[in-house]
Amino acid sequence: MHVTLKIQRYNPETEEQSLETYSVEMNEEATLLDTLDAVKDQVDGSLSYRKSCRMAVCGSCGMRIDGAAVLACKTPMKPIVESGEVPVISPMGNLPVIKDLVVDMAPFWAKFRAVKPYLEEDENPPVKEWRVQQEELDRVMTEALCIQCGCCVSECNSMESDPDFLGPAALAKAARFVYDVRDRGGKERLELYNGPHGVWDCTRCYFCNQRCPKGVHPRDAIAKVGAAIYQAGMHSDPGARHAKVFVKSTHKTGYLLETNLVPETVGAINAIKDIPFALKLARAGKVPNPLRPHSANKLDEVRKLHKLIEAQEQAAYAEGTAGPRRPPEEAQAKESE
Amino acid sequence: MKSSYAYYPGCLASLSQKELDTSTRAIAEKLGMTLVDIPGFTCCGAGDVHEARPEYYLHLNARILGQAEQLGQDTLMTICNVCTLNLRQANKKLQADPDLLERVNRNLKEVGAASYSGGVEVRHLLWEIAEGDGYERLKEIAQRPLVGVKIAPFYGCQILRPSRLLGFEDPDRPQSLERIIEACGAEAVDYPSKIKCCGFPIVLARSEVALGELIQPLVEAKEAGADAMVTPCPLCHLSLDAWQGKASREADMEFNLPIFHLAQLVGAAAGLSYDELQFKRHVVRTYPATDKIYQGA
Repeated sequence: MHVTLKIQRYNPETEEQSLETYSVEMNEEATLLDTLDAVKDQVDGSLSYRKSCRMAVCGSCGMRIDGAAVLACKTPMKPIVESGEVPVISPMGNLPVIKDLVVDMAPFWAKFRAVKPYLEEDENPPVKEWRVQQEELDRVMTEALCIQCGCCVSECNSMESDPDFLGPAALAKAARFVYDVRDRGGKERLELYNGPHGVWDCTRCYFCNQRCPKGVHPRDAIAKVGAAIYQAGMHSDPGARHAKVFVKSTHKTGYLLETNLVPETVGAINAIKDIPFALKLARAGKVPNPLRPHSANKLDEVRKLHKLIEAQEQAAYAEGTAGPRRPPEEAQAKESE
Repeated sequence: MKSSYAYYPGCLASLSQKELDTSTRAIAEKLGMTLVDIPGFTCCGAGDVHEARPEYYLHLNARILGQAEQLGQDTLMTICNVCTLNLRQANKKLQADPDLLERVNRNLKEVGAASYSGGVEVRHLLWEIAEGDGYERLKEIAQRPLVGVKIAPFYGCQILRPSRLLGFEDPDRPQSLERIIEACGAEAVDYPSKIKCCGFPIVLARSEVALGELIQPLVEAKEAGADAMVTPCPLCHLSLDAWQGKASREADMEFNLPIFHLAQLVGAAAGLSYDELQFKRHVVRTYPATDKIYQGA
């Protein structure tokens, strides 16, 4: 099959950028990585890209095809050739480009290190090995699939706006330790993810879930970390306070209490500063009357449901069948059985 | 398109974005869709309850789905991206796991709520009119073509991604809004960030990060020559419309870009008036674009 592609080139020595078109003959099973190898072998030996395992395990060959981050070794070319389109291959986003398709992963690894991607040990570790039950392992299995390729980070919309955002890969790794029954990081660990540039920076664009080639679902992992922070009673961040208004609203009226959102998220003083903005919204009829909030029918049902689930959640946390981890003393007791 | 739906407007269309609810009801009548109200519906919990209290989120949504089922409807229609993802995600989880469904139903029963058997499908208005007989019906009712009006489609996130839960169209090359814009006789303008985030979920908690996201589609749509933008999501609408002034100051650029709800665009092409579609309830004045529509008629 005849494969034509355009590759975004960048030469750091001359700082020249260009979009070059290459054509090579490939067999029908060829991947994007095979095609790049052929271009490098047969057409232009100066083309640079990363690769290693060729089987979607090492996470080296992350790059963009028509703007979407993929693993080159996992991307078959046949459907693209058959569509008649000439794809544009470019380096991943949100990371500095070193040369051609090679990005500098240093900022990526710095964020990884910042989330403490290792177990915080128990003061009294078990004499023999830690025994982890299957259902306990299941809580972190999805996040453990991460190969650190950076495809999720490439398209993270929040990181485009805040380059310091810890981002989907590092926070998915955080979830993997928050929910590890052996970890004793506790609130100190959660505090690492709770401040500026932490979980509450996530704008829920779901690009990470869409792009992840390993099914890690990083956005869902970020939500798991958010849940652990929220349920540990750490409500100081505006992000957690925002969530608290929603929970409270559904209990009070069944609907979102829109007028409570601003003061209870950003604080009264900031809300006062924003009065001109609120008046502008009010003039357009966009501020519901806070004294007569719209209320759902059968509100009683929702309130009972909220209380019932809350009690069940608390019981599950106490038993260690849900949430981040068993209480240490209970884990030890189980271990010594 | 179905002849009747359990209609779930969600919070925003019931509260600050009432023009969306009004316009949706108006176009549904024109399209021949019967919208059956869900008497005891609540908030879907948005991304917030989903994140902070996942169990409570699941039960809130199961209760809504159960109520739709009790009305004898097999399809629940949403008009908000966040409601769509929340309800579809809960629905898929409940449908795939009989033990979970049983446990949730036990809880619903205990509080006297309708139980759920798993028989409801969740669909957004956009999907109902972007293909098949819904699209044909849309073309029939679009009697006042919006000739010469350039519209920038803005999809928002949670109607495209994650596609394993939404899956209506290619999340990287969606065409549904473009098809609808064309059926309305207007011209769709293309720009790269039409599939990106408007920043709304974090507009209060992380306003600077959110504004950075919001500016991008506004700049690009203006550069592409758009008279107005259309979105299927009331949260994107609130961000793009109400926060546009803040984005404008942050970017030091005048946008003055009117933002239409999907139902307003369809309603305008279907001959509904400026007042019927409540364009007055927008923060950014819609005049330049709505003048083109209504004075051209």
